[in-house]
Amino acid sequence: MSEHDTPRRGRTGTACSRRAFVATGAAGLAAVAGCLGDSGGDSGGDGGDESRDGGLPDGVPYVEDPPEAVYVPSHRDPFLMQSPVTAGDYALLPHFSYPHRFWLVDGGETEEVLPTLDDSLHLMVAFWDRQTGELLPVDAGATLSVSRDGDPVETVAPWPMLSQTMGFHFGDNIPLPDDGTYTVEVTVNPIEAVRKTGGFAGRFEETRTATFEFEWTDDRRRTLVEDIEYLEEDQRGEPGALEPMHHGEMATGNGDTNGGGMDMSDMPSPSLRPAAAYPGTDLGVHESGDVAFVVRYLEDSRLATGDGGYLLVSPRTPYNRLPLPEMSLSLSLPEGVVQLGQTLDGELGMHYGGTVALSAGTQFDLVVDGPPQVARHRGYETAFLDMPPMTVEVDQ
Amino acid sequence: MGLPDSEMPRRQYLRGLVATGGAAALAACLEVPGSGTDVPQGDPGSRPARQHAWNDALPTDEDGNVRRPNHHALLALDLTTEPDRAASERVESAFRSLERAYAHDVAGLLFTVSYTPAYFETVGAESPVPDPEPLTSVEGEIALDGFHALVHLASDDPAVVLEAEQALLGGASEPNGVEMAADLAAVFERADPRRTGFVGSGLPVEQAEERGVDLPDELPDEAPFLMGFRSGLRESQAPEERVTIQQGPYAGGTTTHVESLSLNLRQWFEQNDQQLRIAEILSPHHAEDDVGETGEELGTSTGVFPDIADRTAADASTRGIVGHAQKTARAREDGTPLLLRRDINTLDGDRPGVHFLAHQREIADYVRARQAMAGEDLDGVGQRLNNGLLQYIFVRRRGNFVTPPRDLRALPGTDA
Repeated sequence: MSEHDTPRRGRTGTACSRRAFVATGAAGLAAVAGCLGDSGGDSGGDGGDESRDGGLPDGVPYVEDPPEAVYVPSHRDPFLMQSPVTAGDYALLPHFSYPHRFWLVDGGETEEVLPTLDDSLHLMVAFWDRQTGELLPVDAGATLSVSRDGDPVETVAPWPMLSQTMGFHFGDNIPLPDDGTYTVEVTVNPIEAVRKTGGFAGRFEETRTATFEFEWTDDRRRTLVEDIEYLEEDQRGEPGALEPMHHGEMATGNGDTNGGGMDMSDMPSPSLRPAAAYPGTDLGVHESGDVAFVVRYLEDSRLATGDGGYLLVSPRTPYNRLPLPEMSLSLSLPEGVVQLGQTLDGELGMHYGGTVALSAGTQFDLVVDGPPQVARHRGYETAFLDMPPMTVEVDQ
Repeated sequence: MGLPDSEMPRRQYLRGLVATGGAAALAACLEVPGSGTDVPQGDPGSRPARQHAWNDALPTDEDGNVRRPNHHALLALDLTTEPDRAASERVESAFRSLERAYAHDVAGLLFTVSYTPAYFETVGAESPVPDPEPLTSVEGEIALDGFHALVHLASDDPAVVLEAEQALLGGASEPNGVEMAADLAAVFERADPRRTGFVGSGLPVEQAEERGVDLPDELPDEAPFLMGFRSGLRESQAPEERVTIQQGPYAGGTTTHVESLSLNLRQWFEQNDQQLRIAEILSPHHAEDDVGETGEELGTSTGVFPDIADRTAADASTRGIVGHAQKTARAREDGTPLLLRRDINTLDGDRPGVHFLAHQREIADYVRARQAMAGEDLDGVGQRLNNGLLQYIFVRRRGNFVTPPRDLRALPGTDA
């Protein structure tokens, strides 16, 4: 196929050159990214790669046969940052990258999503509480409505997602018809499905909306592709993870300014607090499916809802302590099964908890009934799925 | 006149015109050979007493499912005058004229006339239906129908839908060769929004091509609905008797809810595979072979009732995914569905969507079914994620209506 061929949509694969990528202009960034393989290295994306699931490569080299664990991907993605915007108590950070390959999780299965040639960018929104600066890593059922000059372009419920550098966010690949200025209205629904405690009790009960604008230009596409940082080949696919970004230093290129009066330095780290920062009796840090589960027993706790203490479980990714929301966890105790509830606490952040009475010598299983129902970026798609029970014992 | 004369292009040409609407579209429609001709005229005396009694007039598919008319318009109206006896007689006369012009048939015209709470407030009568309101937590700020009356026009012939609409508003004096004894123009004016839609095998793809709307390639050419699968199978539809009001001034009528939704077909078709689509539209217990590409293997039943519906909560907590059909089938009464769906696909605004029009005995039945569909009681699935179709649908507008029995369809609740 010549570089002048028009990229076609659909799952047929497209060959193109690096030059063609820039020439695609308003066409999907997948076309752009699809052109990168010839300079990128080990595999994939060198155009016309129709062999893998009949799908389009997203162009950058990838790790073949990754381990069933968290692993270092082949590259670090650049992001274009917007200024944060506010929606009631929520602070929202919009940012975007080139269209990504990602994996949906339905139940215990993953489904690979390949960008199509129509996709222009991968739009992401991270959000946290303005009052406390705490992350809100929960599925708040956000929606994005993209428009241009008042004409609707796309309304989408972005997927709850997890990436090594961003942590929890909402995101999806978005097709744009052309270069230009786009307006995005972000709606965050009430957080109702999780228990809210401490300073979060009674909060996040309203639907909130914020709006931001961004420019989509050839320069920005170029930045997103040219700033991809490739890792040494001997690092790729090894156990490990990319460093989580600190929001203040995340931007590449020029972010748009939306006003809103927020300082980038207000943004929290995407990581959870270290294990040592949790109160209560230390019942260990347990491992299953490459997740580290910090387990604490709080004998007299405001969080307990009946007789007994409070068992706090904080699952996090290895290496960078990113939160893992939307899991189903339970305890298999001698006296029966206790479900743990996903909880947002104003002081302890997102964790899973339940009221139980434990005494010295008690032994129980911490059971993962359902893995985190969040879509995965590269490096996480093979981990956090098959998660055997863990045995926890209260020291004598 | 430059129009192609082979059968398929003509049909394709016509179909986009309902969405365009207006006298010009009608004129274009009628100039096409074969359209608007051989349309059977009707007899008002043979129309059933229930406005919503369409099933006897609708054909069935090869499996025995009732097939909806192909083309639809939802005409919103506002009163322009104080209702009195003369106004009421004029309105009834207009509807009777339409009944003379067109047979009660998909080749002719099926229609209902319905009224909103805003209408009853205007005429100073108690509304038999509540004000519309958002029904689920993910809806946010939606539009609510505040106009006065709704006429649902339906036919397999797009020219009939357009002509009937024009005739009601005074823009066509002799629809199908029958003189209008009166029209609605002195009593009602057109209100917003004008909504249109279509249902039928192949129509979503045809309509989209006709109108230049880009739909995912994965939508099968023969699909009858924009999400690709058949719906409204006999076993999941309420019988007309079940949705008929039993007592009170509107006994013999029904209620109508119209929920207008937009769809994200890009995620639905391009990011999911067929097995995941089937899990989300039906249940995780359905296999592709049981369903077929567009639901053609289902026969007359989704197969979710009762066992798979009963497993909804367990599927949410153990599988992390539940299907739309299994969730909604939880809202049945003694095994009988509460809603009679007459929903239609739409490309209004050149965006894919659904006007989910349903009849039920009372609006509370709709609320119950819709909340079962929302699944806010389910642990283990997201507000939208892996929760039936909720990831892909966006509620834009709701309206509640009473659809009186035919003999009360002209300005009910007045002393006229």
